[in-house]
Amino acid sequence: MGDQNTLLGETHARHLLRRTGFGALKTDVQTFASLTRGAAADRLTSFKPAKFRPPGRDIWRRRVSWLKYMLRTRAPLQEKLVLFWHDHFATGNDKVQNHHWMADQNRLLRLYCKGNFKTFVKAINVDPAMMEYLDTFRNFKEQPNENYARELMELFTLGVTDLAGQPNYEQQDIVQIARAFSGWGWDWSRNRVRFNDWAHDYMSEYGSERGPKVIFRNHGGFGSSGRDFTQPNGEGPQEISQVVDIIFEHRDSDGKSTVARFITKKLLEYFAHPLPPYPDNATIIDRIIQRSAFDIEWDLRRLVREILVDDFFYETAGVPPYSASTPKSVVWPVDFVVTTLRLLRVRPRSDKWGNWYIEGGAYGNVTDYLADMGQILFEPPSVFGWDWEEGWINSATLLARYTFARDVAMARGNKAQHLRPHLLMNLNLTDPGDIVDAVTEALGIRQQLTAAERQALMNYLGGPLDLNDPGVREKKLHGLFALALQTPHVHLH
Amino acid sequence: MSLSRRDFLIRSGLVAGGLMANGLWSRALVRKAFADIGDRFLVSIFLDGGNDGLNTVVPVANGSFANFRTSYEILRRSGPGGLRLSETLLTPYAVAADPNTNTPLALHPGLEGLHRLYQLGKVAVVQGCGYPEYNLSHAVSRTIWETASRAAMGPGWLGRYLASRYGASDIPALSVGYWMAGELRQQTTSVLTSIRLSELEFPLDNWYPDDDPAKKVAFQAVYGEAQASSQPLLRFLGNSGQATLTATQAYPGLDDLYAADRASWLQQYNDLDSGTARRLREIAKVIYGVHQGVPDVGARHFALANGGYDTHANQGTVGTNQAHYELHREVGDALEAFYHDLDDMGVADKVLVMVWSEFSRRPQQNDNGTDHGSQGPVFLIGGKVNGGVYGNHPNISDSRVLNPGATWDDGNTKYSQDNSDPHRSTDFRDVYGAILKHWLQIPQTEILSSLLTPDVGDPNFYWTLPNFDFVHPGNGQPLFLP
Repeated sequence: MGDQNTLLGETHARHLLRRTGFGALKTDVQTFASLTRGAAADRLTSFKPAKFRPPGRDIWRRRVSWLKYMLRTRAPLQEKLVLFWHDHFATGNDKVQNHHWMADQNRLLRLYCKGNFKTFVKAINVDPAMMEYLDTFRNFKEQPNENYARELMELFTLGVTDLAGQPNYEQQDIVQIARAFSGWGWDWSRNRVRFNDWAHDYMSEYGSERGPKVIFRNHGGFGSSGRDFTQPNGEGPQEISQVVDIIFEHRDSDGKSTVARFITKKLLEYFAHPLPPYPDNATIIDRIIQRSAFDIEWDLRRLVREILVDDFFYETAGVPPYSASTPKSVVWPVDFVVTTLRLLRVRPRSDKWGNWYIEGGAYGNVTDYLADMGQILFEPPSVFGWDWEEGWINSATLLARYTFARDVAMARGNKAQHLRPHLLMNLNLTDPGDIVDAVTEALGIRQQLTAAERQALMNYLGGPLDLNDPGVREKKLHGLFALALQTPHVHLH
Repeated sequence: MSLSRRDFLIRSGLVAGGLMANGLWSRALVRKAFADIGDRFLVSIFLDGGNDGLNTVVPVANGSFANFRTSYEILRRSGPGGLRLSETLLTPYAVAADPNTNTPLALHPGLEGLHRLYQLGKVAVVQGCGYPEYNLSHAVSRTIWETASRAAMGPGWLGRYLASRYGASDIPALSVGYWMAGELRQQTTSVLTSIRLSELEFPLDNWYPDDDPAKKVAFQAVYGEAQASSQPLLRFLGNSGQATLTATQAYPGLDDLYAADRASWLQQYNDLDSGTARRLREIAKVIYGVHQGVPDVGARHFALANGGYDTHANQGTVGTNQAHYELHREVGDALEAFYHDLDDMGVADKVLVMVWSEFSRRPQQNDNGTDHGSQGPVFLIGGKVNGGVYGNHPNISDSRVLNPGATWDDGNTKYSQDNSDPHRSTDFRDVYGAILKHWLQIPQTEILSSLLTPDVGDPNFYWTLPNFDFVHPGNGQPLFLP
């Protein structure tokens, strides 16, 4: 069994750093290689939550400032988690139309990303961007709006069905929770969320007509009576938090915590790769929950830590020959871009209009490449978030990735930087094999290449090269970087 | 189990297995060997946001079914911002009466172009398409329509068909847009995604173009290795990259070919500049390319989306040129121009267009818009379509619809909305089945076993009576003419 005390070694250190950050620098790999899994996970998860709120006077500038922060942060795991939660509690500015609220939510995600998950959900309940995105601000007692109630259970906490495929709730539960969420609005004069008595569905007011609010009549281990969370008149604001308490008590058909399994599964898939089908996945998920006590304490830091020491996480660190037993995951566009910029030490230029661009590239802006790759920060395609894995890959998004690879390798302003010692240790390299090894090593894919792929890249170089010749460097060396960044290995991890 | 295309080619000795893997064989030879569906094309058009079907195919006047129109007008009340479409406005856009109630029906006046095609007998309106336990979430309902399954995500219904028929390096489908259309999604073959074919450009060297051939050779070798991998995701990426490279070499040229020949066609329809018209034109170019035997151009299945149908408010009525009217006009006119383009090419009989939306809207108007509802109409358009009205109009006279707040269970569907919605009259999977069986001509057993199997474990999503053999209520002929 996977162990806290297993020493990482280089391969696993590279894997761990790659998944919890943006690319693995050689120096970091060397440091982590001699740590145990437990010590490494502790080190990575012990960052102090940053109160960073992406600045900017419009959503485009805020997008760029978040990307810049990802590139320079010393706690990349925090940004990886914020990305995860942005996808999980997906909220799009196309509907919210308020970049201040979007930035506030981003800060909220950063503060809670490894905090208490139950408190996190309660905070999201009253997050203005979320309340606008899922219509909590348009939920009145006469016309309850089911939008947030549905997603709170379906996407944020329970999932439609449990691991065994049994439904977790019914439409009736959605209606009841919508009633509990009625009455919330935005107070423009004081710039904060407020609860409006007049719009809330109080039990006493409608009494027998609407009846008490009861959820999980048939689910959640509460027996046939369900749970009533109706508050006496005057305490309506509490219901929004009581709903979360009840949801967190929900049990799967085999008695395990539904919320704990749902979140653990998703985080596992995010950091590692898709899980095997039920019941094997339950085995993996439950042992991590058990070790982290996530179903009791809801401590995300402990949960993430236990994921990062588990055998399942390290199964993905395999080396060739690939087989079905070394599963992989598609690198997210933001991850690909930030990792590439970081490893190649390319710094895009900023201009006064808020652009952050690669000089000599096909586009004006890094965020434009990302849009074509299918990921616009603060604009997930829907409340479902982005499509992971194969969903990232199609000919349009691949061409965007290939174009970024070319532009970043050939960026006019950054040419000389490719030849820095940290990338190619020795300018006197002449052998094509040595050059290919140095470049793929710098990009962290040397171990993934098959002999035939290595040979193909060597063939591209032709024969021995004099890297001190600027013409050779510009043409063949930059071409090699572009090709290497286009290989499937860079886009899978 | 049918042979995959790859197996078929290998077994029939047309290509050696090793050559298949690195994608460097002659594709023209492959295509010739596998003209299995003939020259038949399918275009899926998604109206994104829940098109208000009740204002798309509208009852014109009282038919034999008493109070039909009256109750309709109560629900779609007139007044400022009202959705009421008056008899005068609707009369010019009349289509066949509802087969069940004999109520005269008309298309929304914005659908002028589509109505002209209807008059040519090229449009089938399949009314009341939905599914049990309908879901009011855009994303969930859309996924259900895309996959014909209750699963949250997974291959699309056409994607499963493509995966069963085509090999890894083929490009059997084109998704016109920034995203892969869900109905085409799958994990084996490659679907091209592009907004404009002429911009499908492989990023090569801006400064040293003479170095490009060497780069391409290396790229193909690396991706060929990935294609041969036993790791599924690596193989998928290998296939997608290889197909992308192929497409960038083949598809951009279609622009000039189409433009040059178009000049000589008999009918010259206006070049519409709407997004939908432009996207349909990209499809017309590919169909033309396939028809002309352009090497490496082989897509036969297409998908695009037209967004903006989430008209919770300001839907507008006719004459006000507001949201719904404009959306309909864009789609209707684009469909008309597309059909005539195909007709000029002589391929109108080989193309089938299906227009659908994730759900329709509730009968009750809210303010001056509509909320999410249940079933809606599907349009089938093509030279071989037996034009007319199929299926029944949503029964908006039903007392349960007129009395929001009622809940009931008819043994087939549980109704628990505060605003009751009319019952579906057609299962949308029957429409897919009809297309698979009669248009793409795959055996019914295969349709049921591999494509549209109802989900196991969800008793509320059962699918009772597959009916793939739609018969025209007027002339008794099948939906697709021979």
